Amino acid sequence: MRIDARNLLDRLGRSDFSYKEFEDRFTDLELWPILEALLRDPRLQALDQPALQVAKSATRGNGEAPAPDERVPEAPKEQIQVLFSRYEHGSEPAAKASAPAPHPADSSGDVRALLRRLSAAVETEGAATGTAPREGDA
Amino acid sequence: MPVILCHGPKGGTGTTFVAAHLAMGLSAEGADVTVLTFAARDTMPLHFGLSQAISLPSLTAPADEAVLVGGINLRHWTRSADDADLLPMLNDLGYLSPGKDRVMVLDVPSGDWRAARRIAQAACAHVCPLTVQPDSLALLPQMFDEAGTDGLSRTAFVINALDETRRLSRHGAAFVRELAGQRLVGRIRSDEAVPEAMAMLQPLSRYAPASAALSDVRAISGKLVDALHSTDPVWIAPSAASRAA
Ligand SMILES: Nc1ncnc2c1ncn2[C@@H]1O[C@H](COP(=O)(O)OP(=O)(O)OP(=O)(O)O)[C@@H](O)[C@H]1O
Ligand SMILES: [Mg+2]
Repeated sequence: MRIDARNLLDRLGRSDFSYKEFEDRFTDLELWPILEALLRDPRLQALDQPALQVAKSATRGNGEAPAPDERVPEAPKEQIQVLFSRYEHGSEPAAKASAPAPHPADSSGDVRALLRRLSAAVETEGAATGTAPREGDA
Repeated sequence: MPVILCHGPKGGTGTTFVAAHLAMGLSAEGADVTVLTFAARDTMPLHFGLSQAISLPSLTAPADEAVLVGGINLRHWTRSADDADLLPMLNDLGYLSPGKDRVMVLDVPSGDWRAARRIAQAACAHVCPLTVQPDSLALLPQMFDEAGTDGLSRTAFVINALDETRRLSRHGAAFVRELAGQRLVGRIRSDEAVPEAMAMLQPLSRYAPASAALSDVRAISGKLVDALHSTDPVWIAPSAASRAA
């Protein structure tokens, strides 16, 4: 770390620092066709992800922005544990981990609803940390 | 004994950095850790504060040739990552079977994805570092396809080199959070201290103890260590077990 950065952190009484959130709107998220293209890619739906469920519930008329604590939290311990369940039972190296059942593929998931939700998540973070001026490249 | 595969869909996204720090985190918890690198052009020693002049000994090299850093045994797989002997050899060494006293962290470059898939089938976890840049995200469908549902169920995603001052990065990160959900174990901020530490030939923890990337990668390895602990305590080396008691 540069000495001037080090000094600044010392003055702020912080051990680390990152710039905090700028506001993003739904329309901003729509600017990136690659995200939409990825969401439409059926191969991405192999993961036991909440995204499509969310997209579906949003189309059921439940399209309000989620409360911050409804957003996807960091992985809870129990769910990470399944990663390491491989060696728990028996000595068979290729024993299958207890894989959660995959979500049924639904390539018609409402992409716009998901983008809206992503936008809401980003905005909530911005609101929680105070809003800085928009960056120049917007 | 646990084999943890570190492998990402795109090169240059911090796989070697994450593998090094995961090894350090496991070692700090008292595990006997070996790192096995597969890159023909390997930069792993730099993350341990060693110079580029060090070349790591092969997995089978005698103990007096070993490169040990803080108790971590650094080794290089000199043959192709596809070599059919790899998994039998790991098995002979006692990995790939129950018991958690020793851990092996494998750093497999993105290009060796076929080998990585085979290793992932035998490993207990696959840590997948990625950036949220579009070219990294664009490779996810292919990677998901190759891994299949069973492979993905043991994959832990890590966002690396995140710069939240950039709009595209924020959007990409939000996208990965939604996509990976519980499989995202954390994010590591982009931090100039990472290359600076290498330039100083120092481990990051010595060069910049306050580094944001260091605290982030430690949080991630802490979670993975917790996950290992929780399934069965017998893997812990005696020193750590007595500390925990
Ligand atoms: N969080 C970070 N902040 C800043 N720089 C980083 C961060 N993580 C990694 N780097 C830098 O990015 C570069 C690539 O990192 P690393 O070698 O770990 O990636 P890799 O995925 O193993 O690459 P390769 O495909 O060559 O094996 C290095 O120069 C490293 O210093
Ligand atoms: Mg590498």
